[in-house]
Amino acid sequence: MSELKRTKLYDAHVKAGATMVDFGGWEMPIQYPEGIVAEHLYTRRCCGLFDVSHMGRLLIEGPERLAFLQHVLSSNAAALELNQAQYCIIPDENGVAVDDAYLYRFEEERYLLVVNAANTEKDLAWFEPIVKDFDCTIRNITGETVSIAVQGPESENILKVLSGGEEITKPARNNLSTMLLEGHKVRIARTGYTAEPIGYELFLKNEDADWMWNRLIELGGKPAGLGARDTLRMEGMLPLYGDEMGLDVAGEPMPIFALALARFAVSFDEAKGEFIGREALQKQSEAAACFRAKNYTPEAMETLKKRVRPIALVDRGVMRHGMPVYRNGEMIGWVTSGTMIPYYMTEGEGADVRLLPETGKRAIGICYISSDVPVNGEVEVDVRGKRLKAVIPSKHISNNVPPYVVPVIYKQK
Amino acid sequence: MTINPELKYSRDHEWVKEEDGLLVIGISDFAQDALGDLVFVNLPEVGDAVTAGEAFGDVESVKAVSDLLSPVSGTVAEINEELLDAPEKLNEDPYGAWIIKVSDVTATEELLDAAAYEAFCAEA
Repeated sequence: MSELKRTKLYDAHVKAGATMVDFGGWEMPIQYPEGIVAEHLYTRRCCGLFDVSHMGRLLIEGPERLAFLQHVLSSNAAALELNQAQYCIIPDENGVAVDDAYLYRFEEERYLLVVNAANTEKDLAWFEPIVKDFDCTIRNITGETVSIAVQGPESENILKVLSGGEEITKPARNNLSTMLLEGHKVRIARTGYTAEPIGYELFLKNEDADWMWNRLIELGGKPAGLGARDTLRMEGMLPLYGDEMGLDVAGEPMPIFALALARFAVSFDEAKGEFIGREALQKQSEAAACFRAKNYTPEAMETLKKRVRPIALVDRGVMRHGMPVYRNGEMIGWVTSGTMIPYYMTEGEGADVRLLPETGKRAIGICYISSDVPVNGEVEVDVRGKRLKAVIPSKHISNNVPPYVVPVIYKQK
Repeated sequence: MTINPELKYSRDHEWVKEEDGLLVIGISDFAQDALGDLVFVNLPEVGDAVTAGEAFGDVESVKAVSDLLSPVSGTVAEINEELLDAPEKLNEDPYGAWIIKVSDVTATEELLDAAAYEAFCAEA
Protein backbone atom coordinates (compact mmCIF):
# COMPACT_ATOMS: atom_id res chain seq x y z
CA MET A 1 0.00 0.00 0.00
CA SER A 2 1.32 3.42 -0.91
CA GLU A 3 1.83 6.00 1.79
CA LEU A 4 -1.05 8.34 2.51
CA LYS A 5 -0.68 11.95 1.38
CA ARG A 6 -1.05 14.76 3.89
CA THR A 7 -2.25 18.32 3.39
CA LYS A 8 -0.31 21.33 4.73
CA LEU A 9 -2.87 21.48 7.57
CA TYR A 10 -2.21 17.91 8.75
CA ASP A 11 -0.35 19.02 11.89
CA ALA A 12 -3.10 21.51 12.75
CA HIS A 13 -5.72 18.72 12.54
CA VAL A 14 -3.72 16.34 14.72
CA LYS A 15 -3.03 19.09 17.26
CA ALA A 16 -6.76 19.85 17.40
CA GLY A 17 -7.40 16.20 18.31
CA ALA A 18 -8.98 15.19 15.00
CA THR A 19 -9.63 11.54 14.15
CA MET A 20 -7.68 10.98 10.94
CA VAL A 21 -8.78 8.50 8.24
CA ASP A 22 -7.74 7.43 4.74
CA PHE A 23 -9.87 9.31 2.24
CA GLY A 24 -9.00 8.88 -1.43
CA GLY A 25 -5.35 8.27 -0.57
CA TRP A 26 -5.19 11.27 1.80
CA GLU A 27 -4.95 11.21 5.59
CA MET A 28 -7.84 13.52 6.45
CA PRO A 29 -9.82 14.54 9.55
CA ILE A 30 -13.17 12.74 9.70
CA GLN A 31 -14.09 14.65 12.84
CA TYR A 32 -12.69 16.81 15.65
CA PRO A 33 -13.36 16.14 19.37
CA GLU A 34 -16.76 17.90 19.42
CA GLY A 35 -18.05 15.37 16.90
CA ILE A 36 -19.93 15.28 13.62
CA VAL A 37 -23.29 16.41 15.03
CA ALA A 38 -21.82 19.54 16.65
CA GLU A 39 -19.76 20.34 13.55
CA HIS A 40 -22.80 19.99 11.28
CA LEU A 41 -24.92 22.24 13.51
CA TYR A 42 -22.16 24.84 13.92
CA THR A 43 -21.85 25.12 10.14
CA ARG A 44 -25.60 25.68 9.84
CA ARG A 45 -25.70 28.31 12.62
CA CYS A 46 -22.31 29.99 12.33
CA CYS A 47 -19.32 28.89 10.27
CA GLY A 48 -17.62 25.56 9.57
CA LEU A 49 -14.03 25.37 8.28
CA PHE A 50 -13.10 22.46 6.03
CA ASP A 51 -9.64 21.53 4.79
CA VAL A 52 -10.38 20.57 1.19
CA SER A 53 -6.75 20.62 0.06
CA HIS A 54 -7.04 16.96 -0.95
CA MET A 55 -9.33 17.86 -3.86
CA GLY A 56 -7.56 17.64 -7.22
CA ARG A 57 -6.66 21.07 -8.60
CA LEU A 58 -5.79 21.13 -12.30
CA LEU A 59 -4.75 24.19 -14.33
CA ILE A 60 -5.79 24.14 -17.98
CA GLU A 61 -3.56 26.44 -20.02
CA GLY A 62 -2.77 27.13 -23.69
CA PRO A 63 -4.46 28.59 -26.78
CA GLU A 64 -7.01 25.76 -27.16
CA ARG A 65 -7.91 25.46 -23.47
CA LEU A 66 -11.52 26.47 -24.05
CA ALA A 67 -12.00 24.07 -26.98
CA PHE A 68 -10.59 21.25 -24.85
CA LEU A 69 -12.89 22.02 -21.90
CA GLN A 70 -15.90 22.28 -24.20
CA HIS A 71 -15.02 18.80 -25.51
CA VAL A 72 -14.51 17.03 -22.16
CA LEU A 73 -16.96 18.82 -19.82
CA SER A 74 -20.76 18.76 -19.80
CA SER A 75 -21.12 22.51 -19.26
CA ASN A 76 -20.78 25.46 -21.63
CA ALA A 77 -17.38 26.78 -20.56
CA ALA A 78 -17.66 29.56 -23.17
CA ALA A 79 -20.42 31.12 -21.06
CA LEU A 80 -18.04 31.43 -18.13
CA GLU A 81 -16.92 35.02 -17.71
CA LEU A 82 -13.84 36.12 -15.83
CA ASN A 83 -14.37 35.70 -12.05
CA GLN A 84 -17.11 33.13 -12.40
CA ALA A 85 -17.33 29.42 -11.71
CA GLN A 86 -19.62 26.63 -12.88
CA TYR A 87 -20.50 23.11 -11.79
CA CYS A 88 -19.86 20.50 -14.45
CA ILE A 89 -19.59 16.78 -15.04
CA ILE A 90 -16.93 14.90 -17.00
CA PRO A 91 -19.04 12.52 -19.13
CA ASP A 92 -17.97 9.41 -21.00
CA GLU A 93 -19.37 8.45 -24.44
CA ASN A 94 -22.34 6.70 -22.78
CA GLY A 95 -23.38 9.74 -20.76
CA VAL A 96 -22.03 8.30 -17.51
CA ALA A 97 -19.91 10.42 -15.16
CA VAL A 98 -16.15 9.87 -15.09
CA ASP A 99 -16.23 12.47 -12.31
CA ASP A 100 -17.94 15.71 -11.35
CA ALA A 101 -15.99 18.92 -11.09
CA TYR A 102 -16.03 22.67 -10.62
CA LEU A 103 -14.55 24.97 -13.24
CA TYR A 104 -13.16 28.33 -12.03
CA ARG A 105 -12.03 31.25 -14.17
CA PHE A 106 -9.89 33.41 -11.89
CA GLU A 107 -7.62 34.48 -14.76
CA GLU A 108 -8.05 35.29 -18.46
CA GLU A 109 -5.33 32.92 -19.59
CA ARG A 110 -6.12 29.76 -17.61
CA TYR A 111 -8.91 27.75 -16.04
CA LEU A 112 -8.84 25.91 -12.72
CA LEU A 113 -10.67 22.57 -12.68
CA VAL A 114 -11.29 21.06 -9.23
CA VAL A 115 -12.03 17.32 -9.18
CA ASN A 116 -12.63 14.65 -6.53
CA ALA A 117 -9.53 13.64 -4.56
CA ALA A 118 -10.04 9.91 -5.15
CA ASN A 119 -10.52 10.51 -8.89
CA THR A 120 -7.64 12.89 -9.62
CA GLU A 121 -5.32 10.26 -11.10
CA LYS A 122 -8.19 8.61 -12.99
CA ASP A 123 -9.28 11.97 -14.45
CA LEU A 124 -5.73 12.81 -15.54
CA ALA A 125 -5.49 9.41 -17.24
CA TRP A 126 -8.87 10.02 -18.91
CA PHE A 127 -7.78 13.46 -20.20
CA GLU A 128 -4.29 12.38 -21.31
CA PRO A 129 -5.10 10.88 -24.75
CA ILE A 130 -7.72 13.59 -25.40
CA VAL A 131 -5.66 16.66 -24.56
CA LYS A 132 -3.03 15.57 -27.14
CA ASP A 133 -5.41 16.74 -29.87
CA PHE A 134 -5.57 20.26 -28.40
CA ASP A 135 -2.95 22.96 -28.11
CA CYS A 136 -3.17 23.15 -24.34
CA THR A 137 -1.79 21.52 -21.19
CA ILE A 138 -3.07 20.20 -17.87
CA ARG A 139 -0.97 21.01 -14.81
CA ASN A 140 -1.71 19.25 -11.52
CA ILE A 141 -1.15 21.87 -8.81
CA THR A 142 -2.84 19.94 -5.98
CA GLY A 143 0.29 19.68 -3.85
CA GLU A 144 1.39 23.29 -4.48
CA THR A 145 -1.72 24.95 -3.09
CA VAL A 146 -4.09 24.73 -0.17
CA SER A 147 -7.84 24.94 -0.25
CA ILE A 148 -10.12 25.81 2.67
CA ALA A 149 -13.92 25.90 2.58
CA VAL A 150 -15.49 28.54 4.85
CA GLN A 151 -19.18 27.73 5.02
CA GLY A 152 -22.19 29.06 6.88
CA PRO A 153 -24.16 32.20 7.82
CA GLU A 154 -21.17 33.94 9.45
CA SER A 155 -18.64 33.09 6.73
CA GLU A 156 -19.00 36.40 4.91
CA ASN A 157 -18.66 38.47 8.10
CA ILE A 158 -15.55 36.53 9.11
CA LEU A 159 -13.85 37.02 5.74
CA LYS A 160 -14.82 40.70 5.74
CA VAL A 161 -12.78 41.19 8.90
CA LEU A 162 -9.77 39.90 6.96
CA SER A 163 -10.54 42.08 3.92
CA GLY A 164 -10.95 45.23 6.03
CA GLY A 165 -14.63 45.43 5.21
CA GLU A 166 -14.25 45.09 1.45
CA GLU A 167 -16.84 42.97 -0.38
CA ILE A 168 -15.55 39.39 -0.69
CA THR A 169 -17.21 38.45 -3.97
CA LYS A 170 -20.36 39.60 -5.71
CA PRO A 171 -23.21 38.22 -3.59
CA ALA A 172 -24.55 35.40 -5.77
CA ARG A 173 -23.22 31.85 -5.86
CA ASN A 174 -20.38 31.09 -8.34
CA ASN A 175 -18.79 34.55 -8.19
CA LEU A 176 -15.02 34.74 -7.76
CA SER A 177 -12.46 37.29 -6.66
CA THR A 178 -8.75 37.53 -6.01
CA MET A 179 -7.93 39.75 -3.07
CA LEU A 180 -5.43 40.54 -0.38
CA LEU A 181 -6.53 39.32 3.05
CA GLU A 182 -4.28 40.95 5.64
CA GLY A 183 -1.60 41.15 2.99
CA HIS A 184 -1.88 37.56 1.73
CA LYS A 185 -3.08 36.92 -1.82
CA VAL A 186 -6.12 34.63 -1.75
CA ARG A 187 -8.39 33.41 -4.53
CA ILE A 188 -11.97 33.23 -3.29
CA ALA A 189 -14.99 31.46 -4.75
CA ARG A 190 -18.56 31.78 -3.57
CA THR A 191 -19.04 28.01 -3.85
CA GLY A 192 -19.21 25.06 -1.51
CA TYR A 193 -20.46 21.55 -0.78
CA THR A 194 -22.61 22.22 2.29
CA ALA A 195 -25.73 23.71 0.62
CA GLU A 196 -25.23 26.84 2.74
CA PRO A 197 -26.63 29.96 1.06
CA ILE A 198 -23.45 31.77 2.15
CA GLY A 199 -20.14 29.98 1.80
CA TYR A 200 -16.75 30.33 0.23
CA GLU A 201 -13.86 28.20 -0.97
CA LEU A 202 -10.41 29.73 -0.67
CA PHE A 203 -7.35 28.81 -2.71
CA LEU A 204 -4.01 29.91 -1.32
CA LYS A 205 -0.29 29.28 -1.31
CA ASN A 206 1.00 26.47 0.88
CA GLU A 207 2.94 28.89 3.09
CA ASP A 208 -0.27 30.78 3.95
CA ALA A 209 -2.17 27.66 5.10
CA ASP A 210 -1.54 27.86 8.85
CA TRP A 211 -1.98 31.62 9.01
CA MET A 212 -5.35 31.43 7.26
CA TRP A 213 -6.63 28.42 9.23
CA ASN A 214 -5.70 30.00 12.58
CA ARG A 215 -7.13 33.42 11.70
CA LEU A 216 -10.43 31.84 10.62
CA ILE A 217 -10.62 30.01 13.96
CA GLU A 218 -9.77 33.18 15.91
CA LEU A 219 -12.61 34.96 14.12
CA GLY A 220 -15.19 32.34 15.10
CA GLY A 221 -14.95 29.59 12.50
CA LYS A 222 -14.69 26.00 13.77
CA PRO A 223 -12.96 23.10 12.05
CA ALA A 224 -15.34 20.49 10.66
CA GLY A 225 -14.27 17.14 9.25
CA LEU A 226 -15.28 14.90 6.38
CA GLY A 227 -18.09 13.39 8.48
CA ALA A 228 -19.93 16.71 8.75
CA ARG A 229 -19.05 17.50 5.13
CA ASP A 230 -20.91 14.31 4.19
CA THR A 231 -24.03 14.97 6.30
CA LEU A 232 -24.19 18.60 5.13
CA ARG A 233 -24.01 17.67 1.45
CA MET A 234 -26.49 14.80 1.94
CA GLU A 235 -29.04 17.14 3.52
CA GLY A 236 -28.56 19.45 0.53
CA MET A 237 -28.93 16.60 -2.01
CA LEU A 238 -25.46 17.29 -3.41
CA PRO A 239 -24.23 14.12 -5.11
CA LEU A 240 -21.04 12.30 -4.17
CA TYR A 241 -19.13 10.43 -6.86
CA GLY A 242 -19.28 6.72 -6.04
CA ASP A 243 -22.64 7.04 -4.29
CA GLU A 244 -24.89 9.06 -6.61
CA MET A 245 -22.65 9.05 -9.67
CA GLY A 246 -20.56 6.47 -11.51
CA LEU A 247 -21.62 2.88 -10.82
CA ASP A 248 -24.72 1.95 -8.81
CA VAL A 249 -24.85 -0.57 -5.94
CA ALA A 250 -25.15 -3.45 -8.44
CA GLY A 251 -22.16 -2.18 -10.45
CA GLU A 252 -24.25 -0.80 -13.35
CA PRO A 253 -23.44 2.64 -14.80
CA MET A 254 -25.74 5.47 -13.65
CA PRO A 255 -26.80 7.90 -16.40
CA ILE A 256 -25.85 11.51 -15.63
CA PHE A 257 -29.47 12.70 -15.99
CA ALA A 258 -30.45 10.41 -13.13
CA LEU A 259 -29.33 13.47 -11.14
CA ALA A 260 -31.79 16.37 -11.03
CA LEU A 261 -28.94 18.87 -11.15
CA ALA A 262 -27.71 17.46 -14.49
CA ARG A 263 -30.11 19.97 -16.04
CA PHE A 264 -27.89 22.77 -14.79
CA ALA A 265 -24.57 21.01 -15.42
CA VAL A 266 -25.15 19.88 -19.01
CA SER A 267 -25.39 22.33 -21.91
CA PHE A 268 -26.42 21.62 -25.49
CA ASP A 269 -25.70 25.22 -26.46
CA GLU A 270 -24.56 25.81 -30.05
CA ALA A 271 -21.37 27.44 -28.77
CA LYS A 272 -20.44 24.13 -27.19
CA GLY A 273 -20.68 22.05 -30.37
CA GLU A 274 -19.83 18.35 -30.26
CA PHE A 275 -18.55 16.97 -26.98
CA ILE A 276 -17.93 13.59 -25.40
CA GLY A 277 -21.23 11.96 -24.47
CA ARG A 278 -23.44 14.55 -26.21
CA GLU A 279 -25.65 12.09 -28.06
CA ALA A 280 -26.31 9.92 -25.01
CA LEU A 281 -26.88 12.96 -22.81
CA GLN A 282 -29.34 14.46 -25.31
CA LYS A 283 -31.42 11.29 -25.08
CA GLN A 284 -31.22 11.27 -21.29
CA SER A 285 -32.18 14.95 -21.20
CA GLU A 286 -35.34 14.25 -23.21
CA ALA A 287 -36.29 11.42 -20.84
CA ALA A 288 -35.72 13.70 -17.83
CA ALA A 289 -37.96 16.35 -19.45
CA CYS A 290 -40.74 13.72 -19.84
CA PHE A 291 -40.49 12.92 -16.13
CA ARG A 292 -40.68 16.60 -15.18
CA ALA A 293 -43.97 16.70 -17.12
CA LYS A 294 -45.04 13.56 -15.13
CA ASN A 295 -45.05 11.67 -18.43
CA TYR A 296 -43.54 8.23 -17.72
CA THR A 297 -43.33 6.94 -21.31
CA PRO A 298 -41.80 3.48 -21.93
CA GLU A 299 -38.97 5.14 -23.96
CA ALA A 300 -38.13 7.55 -21.16
CA MET A 301 -38.29 4.75 -18.56
CA GLU A 302 -35.93 2.67 -20.73
CA THR A 303 -33.41 5.53 -21.02
CA LEU A 304 -33.56 6.55 -17.34
CA LYS A 305 -34.76 3.50 -15.42
CA LYS A 306 -33.83 5.01 -12.09
CA ARG A 307 -33.27 8.47 -10.70
CA VAL A 308 -31.48 9.93 -7.71
CA ARG A 309 -34.04 11.17 -5.18
CA PRO A 310 -34.27 12.31 -1.57
CA ILE A 311 -35.58 9.72 0.89
CA ALA A 312 -36.81 10.14 4.46
CA LEU A 313 -37.44 7.28 6.86
CA VAL A 314 -40.90 7.36 8.48
CA ASP A 315 -40.36 4.38 10.82
CA ARG A 316 -37.69 4.47 13.52
CA GLY A 317 -34.25 3.48 12.24
CA VAL A 318 -31.31 4.60 10.15
CA MET A 319 -30.74 4.04 6.42
CA ARG A 320 -27.29 3.39 4.99
CA HIS A 321 -25.68 3.17 1.55
CA GLY A 322 -26.60 -0.03 -0.27
CA MET A 323 -29.84 -0.87 1.55
CA PRO A 324 -32.53 -2.04 -0.93
CA VAL A 325 -35.67 0.07 -1.51
CA TYR A 326 -39.03 -1.60 -2.20
CA ARG A 327 -42.40 -0.44 -3.55
CA ASN A 328 -45.37 -2.75 -3.06
CA GLY A 329 -42.99 -5.63 -2.42
CA GLU A 330 -40.93 -5.03 -5.56
CA MET A 331 -37.27 -4.02 -5.29
CA ILE A 332 -36.89 -0.68 -7.11
CA GLY A 333 -33.39 0.47 -6.16
CA TRP A 334 -31.12 1.32 -3.23
CA VAL A 335 -30.29 3.90 -0.66
CA THR A 336 -27.10 5.58 -1.96
CA SER A 337 -26.38 7.77 1.09
CA GLY A 338 -28.08 7.86 4.44
CA THR A 339 -27.63 8.46 8.13
CA MET A 340 -29.19 10.35 11.04
CA ILE A 341 -28.76 14.09 10.41
CA PRO A 342 -29.24 16.86 13.00
CA TYR A 343 -31.06 20.13 12.36
CA TYR A 344 -32.05 23.33 14.12
CA MET A 345 -35.71 23.99 14.72
CA THR A 346 -36.68 27.26 13.00
CA GLU A 347 -39.19 30.05 13.45
CA GLY A 348 -40.52 32.52 10.87
CA GLU A 349 -40.32 32.47 7.10
CA GLY A 350 -38.20 33.71 4.20
CA ALA A 351 -35.59 36.31 5.16
CA ASP A 352 -37.04 36.45 8.71
CA VAL A 353 -36.22 32.83 9.53
CA ARG A 354 -34.56 32.43 12.91
CA LEU A 355 -32.80 29.33 14.18
CA LEU A 356 -34.07 28.27 17.61
CA PRO A 357 -31.73 26.75 20.19
CA GLU A 358 -33.61 23.43 20.00
CA THR A 359 -32.35 20.73 17.69
CA GLY A 360 -33.83 17.59 16.22
CA LYS A 361 -32.49 14.75 14.15
CA ARG A 362 -33.93 12.77 11.28
CA ALA A 363 -33.05 9.64 9.35
CA ILE A 364 -32.77 10.95 5.81
CA GLY A 365 -30.67 10.29 2.79
CA ILE A 366 -30.49 9.88 -0.96
CA CYS A 367 -31.68 6.94 -3.01
CA TYR A 368 -31.46 5.68 -6.60
CA ILE A 369 -34.87 4.25 -7.44
CA SER A 370 -37.29 3.57 -10.27
CA SER A 371 -37.95 6.84 -12.10
CA ASP A 372 -41.74 6.65 -11.83
CA VAL A 373 -42.04 7.07 -8.05
CA PRO A 374 -43.93 10.36 -7.56
CA VAL A 375 -43.08 13.06 -5.01
CA ASN A 376 -44.34 11.93 -1.59
CA GLY A 377 -44.47 8.37 -2.94
CA GLU A 378 -44.34 5.71 -0.22
CA VAL A 379 -41.61 3.07 -0.26
CA GLU A 380 -39.94 0.65 2.14
CA VAL A 381 -36.28 0.25 3.00
CA ASP A 382 -34.74 -3.06 4.01
CA VAL A 383 -32.79 -2.04 7.10
CA ARG A 384 -30.83 -5.17 8.00
CA GLY A 385 -33.75 -7.52 7.41
CA LYS A 386 -36.53 -5.21 8.60
CA ARG A 387 -38.79 -3.42 6.12
CA LEU A 388 -39.13 0.16 7.33
CA LYS A 389 -41.55 2.72 5.88
CA ALA A 390 -40.02 5.64 4.01
CA VAL A 391 -41.14 8.44 1.73
CA ILE A 392 -39.71 10.25 -1.30
CA PRO A 393 -40.01 13.98 -0.49
CA SER A 394 -39.19 16.75 -2.95
CA LYS A 395 -36.23 17.98 -0.85
CA HIS A 396 -34.69 17.88 2.62
CA ILE A 397 -33.87 21.57 3.02
CA SER A 398 -34.76 24.96 1.64
CA ASN A 399 -31.74 27.21 1.06
CA ASN A 400 -32.85 29.89 -1.36
CA VAL A 401 -33.08 32.73 1.17
CA PRO A 402 -29.85 33.65 2.97
CA PRO A 403 -28.52 33.37 5.55
CA TYR A 404 -30.02 30.13 6.91
CA VAL A 405 -30.71 26.65 5.64
CA VAL A 406 -34.23 25.66 6.68
CA PRO A 407 -35.00 21.96 7.14
CA VAL A 408 -38.03 20.68 5.25
CA ILE A 409 -39.43 18.04 7.60
CA TYR A 410 -41.70 15.43 6.10
CA LYS A 411 -45.01 15.33 7.96
CA GLN A 412 -47.12 12.22 7.69
CA LYS A 413 -50.67 12.84 6.55
CA MET B 1 -10.93 8.21 29.12
CA THR B 2 -12.55 7.34 32.44
CA ILE B 3 -13.02 3.89 33.95
CA ASN B 4 -15.52 3.47 36.77
CA PRO B 5 -13.67 1.46 39.47
CA GLU B 6 -16.88 -0.10 40.80
CA LEU B 7 -17.84 -1.84 37.56
CA LYS B 8 -16.71 -4.97 35.75
CA TYR B 9 -15.99 -4.94 32.03
CA SER B 10 -16.19 -7.26 29.04
CA ARG B 11 -13.55 -7.39 26.32
CA ASP B 12 -16.25 -5.99 24.00
CA HIS B 13 -16.26 -2.79 26.11
CA GLU B 14 -19.54 -3.33 27.92
CA TRP B 15 -19.73 -2.68 31.66
CA VAL B 16 -21.67 -4.87 34.07
CA LYS B 17 -22.84 -4.39 37.64
CA GLU B 18 -25.18 -6.26 39.94
CA GLU B 19 -28.15 -4.38 41.34
CA ASP B 20 -31.17 -5.81 43.17
CA GLY B 21 -30.51 -9.32 41.81
CA LEU B 22 -30.29 -8.09 38.20
CA LEU B 23 -27.23 -7.59 36.00
CA VAL B 24 -27.13 -4.06 34.61
CA ILE B 25 -25.31 -3.58 31.29
CA GLY B 26 -23.97 -0.48 29.58
CA ILE B 27 -21.06 0.59 27.36
CA SER B 28 -17.76 1.99 28.61
CA ASP B 29 -16.39 5.48 28.07
CA PHE B 30 -13.77 3.93 25.77
CA ALA B 31 -16.58 2.42 23.66
CA GLN B 32 -18.66 5.60 23.39
CA ASP B 33 -15.57 7.60 22.44
CA ALA B 34 -14.57 5.11 19.75
CA LEU B 35 -18.13 4.97 18.37
CA GLY B 36 -18.55 8.75 18.15
CA ASP B 37 -21.86 10.64 18.31
CA LEU B 38 -24.57 8.03 18.86
CA VAL B 39 -27.78 8.90 17.05
CA PHE B 40 -29.87 5.74 17.32
CA VAL B 41 -30.20 2.62 19.45
CA ASN B 42 -32.02 -0.63 18.82
CA LEU B 43 -32.95 -2.39 22.06
CA PRO B 44 -34.40 -5.85 22.71
CA GLU B 45 -37.83 -6.23 24.31
CA VAL B 46 -38.46 -7.17 27.90
CA GLY B 47 -38.66 -10.98 28.06
CA ASP B 48 -36.22 -11.53 25.17
CA ALA B 49 -33.42 -14.01 25.77
CA VAL B 50 -29.85 -12.73 25.48
CA THR B 51 -26.79 -14.93 24.93
CA ALA B 52 -23.26 -14.23 26.08
CA GLY B 53 -21.11 -13.15 23.13
CA GLU B 54 -24.10 -12.44 20.89
CA ALA B 55 -25.77 -9.18 19.87
CA PHE B 56 -28.69 -7.97 21.99
CA GLY B 57 -29.13 -4.73 20.10
CA ASP B 58 -27.14 -2.14 18.22
CA VAL B 59 -26.06 1.45 18.38
CA GLU B 60 -25.66 3.71 15.39
CA SER B 61 -23.32 6.65 15.05
CA VAL B 62 -23.50 9.11 12.17
CA LYS B 63 -20.99 6.95 10.29
CA ALA B 64 -21.77 3.35 11.19
CA VAL B 65 -23.80 0.74 13.06
CA SER B 66 -22.23 -1.44 15.77
CA ASP B 67 -23.65 -4.47 17.56
CA LEU B 68 -24.10 -4.42 21.31
CA LEU B 69 -22.68 -7.76 22.47
CA SER B 70 -24.10 -9.28 25.61
CA PRO B 71 -21.54 -10.31 28.25
CA VAL B 72 -24.14 -12.60 29.85
CA SER B 73 -26.86 -15.12 29.01
CA GLY B 74 -30.26 -14.57 30.57
CA THR B 75 -33.60 -12.81 30.13
CA VAL B 76 -34.14 -9.09 29.53
CA ALA B 77 -35.91 -7.73 32.62
CA GLU B 78 -35.80 -4.01 31.83
CA ILE B 79 -34.68 -1.75 29.01
CA ASN B 80 -33.67 1.90 29.31
CA GLU B 81 -36.41 3.41 27.13
CA GLU B 82 -35.02 6.89 27.64
CA LEU B 83 -32.19 5.97 25.25
CA LEU B 84 -34.62 5.44 22.37
CA ASP B 85 -35.23 9.19 22.17
CA ALA B 86 -31.89 10.30 23.59
CA PRO B 87 -29.11 7.94 22.47
CA GLU B 88 -26.63 10.81 23.05
CA LYS B 89 -26.91 10.01 26.79
CA LEU B 90 -24.59 7.07 26.07
CA ASN B 91 -21.96 9.61 24.97
CA GLU B 92 -22.64 12.11 27.74
CA ASP B 93 -22.82 9.74 30.70
CA PRO B 94 -21.72 6.23 29.71
CA TYR B 95 -21.67 4.87 33.28
CA GLY B 96 -25.01 6.45 34.19
CA ALA B 97 -26.83 5.50 31.00
CA TRP B 98 -27.48 1.79 31.47
CA ILE B 99 -28.89 -0.09 28.47
CA ILE B 100 -30.55 -3.28 29.74
CA LYS B 101 -31.03 -5.21 32.96
CA VAL B 102 -30.86 -8.99 32.77
CA SER B 103 -32.49 -11.58 35.08
CA ASP B 104 -32.18 -15.38 35.29
CA VAL B 105 -28.52 -15.23 34.34
CA THR B 106 -27.28 -18.65 33.26
CA ALA B 107 -23.82 -17.78 31.98
CA THR B 108 -21.39 -14.89 32.21
CA GLU B 109 -18.32 -14.18 30.13
CA GLU B 110 -15.07 -13.74 31.97
CA LEU B 111 -15.20 -10.12 33.12
CA LEU B 112 -12.31 -7.77 33.88
CA ASP B 113 -11.99 -5.55 36.91
CA ALA B 114 -11.25 -1.85 36.39
CA ALA B 115 -7.46 -2.26 36.55
CA ALA B 116 -7.43 -5.19 34.11
CA TYR B 117 -9.83 -3.33 31.80
CA GLU B 118 -7.61 -0.27 31.82
CA ALA B 119 -4.66 -2.45 30.79
CA PHE B 120 -6.83 -4.09 28.12
CA CYS B 121 -7.79 -0.67 26.67
CA ALA B 122 -4.17 0.47 26.68
CA GLU B 123 -3.31 -2.47 24.43
CA ALA B 124 -6.23 -1.83 22.06
